[in-house]
Amino acid sequence: MDVVDLARTQFAVTGSLHFLFVVLTLGLAPLVAIMHTRYAVTGNPLHERMTRFWGQIYVINYALGIFTGLVMEFQFGLSWSGLSRYAGDVFGAPLAIETLVAFFLESTFLGLWIFGWHRLPRGLHVTCIWLVTLTAYASAFWIMVANSFLQHPVGSVEQGGRLVLRDFGALLTNPNLVFALPHVISAGLWTGGFVVMGASAYHLFRRTAEREFFTRSLRIGVVTAFIGSLFTVGFGYAQFGVVEDTQPDKFDGVIPGTALGLMITIGQLLQFGVMLVLLPLLIKDLLARWRWLHPVLMLITPLPFVAAIAGWLVREVGRQPWLVYGKLSVADAMTPGLSKAAIIGSFVGFAGVLGLLALIDYLLIARAVRRGPGQVSLGMPDRSADPVPQPAHSL
Amino acid sequence: MEIIWFGALAVLLLGYFALEGFDIGLGILLPVLGRSQEDRDRLVGAVAPFVLAGEVWLVALVGVLFGAFSTLEGEVLSGLYPLVVALLLTWITRDAGLWFRRRADGAAWRAVWDGAICLGSAGLALTWGMTLVALARGLSAPLLSLEGVVGGLVVALAFCLHGWTFAAWRLPGDPVVRGARRTGRALALTALAAAIPAGLTVAVVASTLIDHAAPPETLTTMGAIVLPCVPILVGAQVWVWRIFSRGALPTFF
Repeated sequence: MDVVDLARTQFAVTGSLHFLFVVLTLGLAPLVAIMHTRYAVTGNPLHERMTRFWGQIYVINYALGIFTGLVMEFQFGLSWSGLSRYAGDVFGAPLAIETLVAFFLESTFLGLWIFGWHRLPRGLHVTCIWLVTLTAYASAFWIMVANSFLQHPVGSVEQGGRLVLRDFGALLTNPNLVFALPHVISAGLWTGGFVVMGASAYHLFRRTAEREFFTRSLRIGVVTAFIGSLFTVGFGYAQFGVVEDTQPDKFDGVIPGTALGLMITIGQLLQFGVMLVLLPLLIKDLLARWRWLHPVLMLITPLPFVAAIAGWLVREVGRQPWLVYGKLSVADAMTPGLSKAAIIGSFVGFAGVLGLLALIDYLLIARAVRRGPGQVSLGMPDRSADPVPQPAHSL
Repeated sequence: MEIIWFGALAVLLLGYFALEGFDIGLGILLPVLGRSQEDRDRLVGAVAPFVLAGEVWLVALVGVLFGAFSTLEGEVLSGLYPLVVALLLTWITRDAGLWFRRRADGAAWRAVWDGAICLGSAGLALTWGMTLVALARGLSAPLLSLEGVVGGLVVALAFCLHGWTFAAWRLPGDPVVRGARRTGRALALTALAAAIPAGLTVAVVASTLIDHAAPPETLTTMGAIVLPCVPILVGAQVWVWRIFSRGALPTFF
């Protein structure tokens, strides 16, 4: 592998890790917000328990989204300084808005939500999780604006060897954005739905004491997966026309072609399965009662993650050898003089640390699922700021 | 417009040092001030609600560097390559310690992640000092130098002072700070002390930054979207400080 290949692989590995966690964040955020709203409106303790249990899964998952996202942001400057030199005045704008407005607010409101239990009035507390959801979707929007520009560089002209912004509106209405954004967001809902479904199936299969909790959760998971899969598949097929117009040879390579086939196979089979089998079985809670089906639900839980990564491979590898399609090649965008030692060192560091933390995070999510709603630390009572009194010493 | 975006960059960097400085400083001091597990839990509980609202200042800073000073972004980050990699790895290590320390039971588990908080914070402070020195000296100078190490120690000391003051302000009279009490004014002063190294660097590089600002179309477009949001950004930050400055300690981190 030469330096360009190593830098590309590093970006692919950190980017894929990032999206594995982000896709679940995007799916779980609105579900947790809806659960919290139902609790705030009805005061029903079941909804409080659902908010805290699924909220904790959401928050544990969120940590790795942050860690991997930090590396993503800095990696542009580390490995691909040619991108900012050539297209930074256009591509940088949506990224700056994403970090300065969307993520800034998302992280601030998430902190208020996580630590605000027993402290914020219920209405304001619910508002926080809705603001987290809204700003997470705004983040997804701006990142997809930036990515779509790389796929199809609209709204700009080349002047003196650099791209200059001419029409920001064209970036926001990029044909490579308008179907891809709902495709990605629906894939998030689908993934979130499957995780809720798989975890519920685990508890129902194990016949734990939380039957009502997980029967209701299973319903939420299946309905969410149904909505998500319907729109993911619809907005997936809708992109073929755009790709044909803007990147006609996108699927010609081995990796994009294979990944496209894999994504469509998983997507189509699961979408039919959810619509024609799982959704009807919600009648009279047959799905919750048919225990023999639960291992199947657990086994298919990872498939939307696989499809999501395959989807990104299609989109990104299919753009090669271009970084900015038709204008700047990946090789030309690489930081001049980047040494093999530097890229290998950082690759080992990032992949090692993030890979290990990702593994730990998944084990922690599995642990939280296994322990169930009875032992949730999110929303536990605060503790007094006073130190525990020292035991009196006496003879 | 260049001046406004330079101001934004400067505010974000100084804000990061003032608002993350005490998190990082307390992280370094965690084994020193928190002799028992119970003390460490209270120190982390005091600082926890401020971390998410503090570290976004740096995320936003790099975003602004990319959007408003794009010709410098790649040059600066790749010019500081080993320092940026170290900064990311130590930052992630510190954050992982915070997020994971209470996610499983057992004294050993929590001790490992408390160690990650301490080592990550120390590495982060040292890396920041070296980064500031490298920026001030210009990227052609060697990254690893005696000045850089001294800069790292100065930043680490300033953060420790800020962190200690935060603890004495948030947990007044507590045994972890040997019964000390500090006012909000004292905390503001150590915030200033923590931000001074960053301020000096910004002053040195100011003219270079302004010369490399993006063209007016880019700056105006971003300004039109970002400026109306500024009151919300500020309001959210103020809200965090109003909610979590007093009272019981959250237990999630």
